[in-house]
Amino acid sequence: MIRFRAASVVYPGGTRGLDNVDLSIEPGEFVVVVGLSGAGKSTLIRTINGLIPLTSGELSVNEHSVPDLNRRQLRDLRGDIGMIFQGFNLVDRSTVVNNVLMGRLAKVPAWRALLGRFPEHDLAVAAAALDRVGMLDRAHQRSTDLSGGQRQRVGIARALAQEPQVILADEPVASLDPPTSHQIMQHLQRINRELGITTIVNLHFLDLAVTYAQRIVGLREGTIVFDGPGSECTAEVFEGIYGRSLTADDTLTDEAPLP
Amino acid sequence: MSSPAVVSAPSIPRGPRVGRFIVWGIVGVIGLTIVTAITVEFSFLDIFRNLTRRNLVLDGLLSPDIGQLWSERSLSAFVETLQLAILGTATGGLVALPLSIWATDYGNPYVWLRNMVRIFNAVVRSIPDLLWALIFVTAVGIGVLPGLLALFFFSIAVVSKLTADTLDSVDRQPIEAALAAGAPTISMVHTAVVPQILPAYTSFLLYGFELNLRASAVLGLVGAGGIGARIEFFRGRGEWSEVWGIVLMFFLVVFLVERLSVSLRRRLV
Amino acid sequence: MSAPRIPQRPVDWVRRIGTAVVVIIVVWSLLDLEIRWERLIDLPRDMAILAGLMFSNMPLERIPSLLGALWESVSIAWLGTILAALVAIPLSFFAAENLVGRPAAWLMRQVFNVLRAIPEVILAIALIPIFGLTPMAGVLAIAIGSVGTLGKLFYEVAEAIRRGPLEAVDAVGGSLIQRFRWGLLPQVLPEYASFVLYRFEVNIRASAVMGLIGAGGIGNDVAQALRFKEFGIAGLGLVIIILGTIAIDYLSGLVRNRIIRGPAGVSIAVAAP
Repeated sequence: MIRFRAASVVYPGGTRGLDNVDLSIEPGEFVVVVGLSGAGKSTLIRTINGLIPLTSGELSVNEHSVPDLNRRQLRDLRGDIGMIFQGFNLVDRSTVVNNVLMGRLAKVPAWRALLGRFPEHDLAVAAAALDRVGMLDRAHQRSTDLSGGQRQRVGIARALAQEPQVILADEPVASLDPPTSHQIMQHLQRINRELGITTIVNLHFLDLAVTYAQRIVGLREGTIVFDGPGSECTAEVFEGIYGRSLTADDTLTDEAPLP
Repeated sequence: MSSPAVVSAPSIPRGPRVGRFIVWGIVGVIGLTIVTAITVEFSFLDIFRNLTRRNLVLDGLLSPDIGQLWSERSLSAFVETLQLAILGTATGGLVALPLSIWATDYGNPYVWLRNMVRIFNAVVRSIPDLLWALIFVTAVGIGVLPGLLALFFFSIAVVSKLTADTLDSVDRQPIEAALAAGAPTISMVHTAVVPQILPAYTSFLLYGFELNLRASAVLGLVGAGGIGARIEFFRGRGEWSEVWGIVLMFFLVVFLVERLSVSLRRRLV
Repeated sequence: MSAPRIPQRPVDWVRRIGTAVVVIIVVWSLLDLEIRWERLIDLPRDMAILAGLMFSNMPLERIPSLLGALWESVSIAWLGTILAALVAIPLSFFAAENLVGRPAAWLMRQVFNVLRAIPEVILAIALIPIFGLTPMAGVLAIAIGSVGTLGKLFYEVAEAIRRGPLEAVDAVGGSLIQRFRWGLLPQVLPEYASFVLYRFEVNIRASAVMGLIGAGGIGNDVAQALRFKEFGIAGLGLVIIILGTIAIDYLSGLVRNRIIRGPAGVSIAVAAP
């Protein structure tokens, strides 16, 4: 239900973010995108919810052609796509629950959100999302008081609160330590399996990619150079994606060998 | 022992040329000062002569009429001044927030509208308080209403300028998150921007109130209400002791307000 | 298992009471002020009429004389600011605790506070009987008023300077004056210059006001015009004030950026209180 056809993104100044990409992602898949910084991972993920526009080519999400959507339709589409960020992107001064309710902003009338009078249903959805990531008891804590892992869980809850069909995660664990990274990846994996939400994750730690991905897409200079199950990803394959030999920075835990 | 070879004594090498900018800057400042001094016919001699002459103003200053502190008329004019400042800050300061948000790139997706708001803000910020008062007195006549209107616009000017600077340096990440979640612009601003600037904004409101208080004290000079009318009354009769008495009273209040404001602002930031 | 619910939000009493107090004060002001609210209904129409009178048929031949008056206002503002700076810089050193010790500094700061508290307009109406309806009254009013604010800004900078250069001067046996010249000045001059320029921008507005009460400058022309109902001139004067103020703000902003940023200058917003 996400289909790229000959999709390209050219930034002003000439850099090619995406170069003639053909990609199809079916509902319910768990896809991990790997590649060097600047290879196009961020660009790819941000085109799906229209944060970055295509320069040419086609992209359809849920039968909607993203480049043709007007402002209002784009907002509706984004309401069904949850996004998780490397920097968590929480509102520091706000409480956990207010951050999560940001996920309902596309679904409730603006006046209700402004007055803080969310309907029961939306509050219940937010509560369920918080419960799923185990942060319900911290609902009224300020996000500044939380650790990195806790903040990302709030970020996940915010995305879940949208009741999305797709979850996009842009390097969700790059700022976290190894145990917390695994915890977050496990949350994402569980959500994908239990709720059937299509999940696309950018990772630059290759061992994490292999551990959690059903399918790995390798990007290099804006083109797809690998697309297959994690089991096929050996160190040589990764070196092909990266175009260089692997270093210790490419894996989360130094001891974890790649297959 | 052979004598050392004869070399010229070392000297400190010439330093880098004092930046051209500084030189031109100093030249400009001195030049401008001279030209402007000529324009206003500045003369230190004049200053000295005038200040050392006996005059009613200085006499009054040396013996201010403290009785003004409990004169009923002055007190009620004073309360009026206070209320004008409070209302002016409350109304104008409140309007200033959406107005400055509409001038940002994230708060206003329509470029033409954004530019119109920016122009409006620039114009409002260029008109001083007493001039607003004079305009409104001309339009609606004398009284308290023109004073309130003047302070309304004055407050917009002060608060929106400070808020605009804060809005420019706001953290964009929560904004991106709200947009990615499909939030309409107004909800995005409410959840992602306002919480970030709220402490600073409140402190700007307090600062605006201080400025409003000082402005509202003199609005009466053009007929727009407040203690200025009393000042004008005594001034017209040359009763400078009373004038300075009122000014003293004014000091007291400003001093108290400032203490309060500083301690409140410290708790906010 | 029952569906998860968001726990009750703890009540923030400080916030509640604070907001309530503010609301009460504002409402009291609103109700107690004797405003003839009916006039508010006529306001849009009155403003429209006034705007029409002021901005249609502006007598363009008056532009040169009004520009001259604007220049007089700029002069008043500039001279007042420079005078204030010249006085405030030495005085501010006496308000810096790291230079003269606490009691002396406190005294000087109170002097600054008093000067800051006086509205310049009041200074001006006090100076007019002494100096007559001349620009000098305006210059001095602005100067006296600005000494307070500039003094405060200056001493705050002086206190924040690093001790290093000062100690270096002491270490090579420098006198107090040399301490200032070599240890203090290079650190504070850019900030001082920036404050002075910012104050100049503020004083442009003050000098327009000076004119309104007769102390020279374009405010004078506008006030006279309104008094004699020559609305076209008033309108033209207002337009010139607006454009002039915006232009000076912009130019001054550029120079301030250059001072703080240096030649590499990327534009930033530099604002002093």
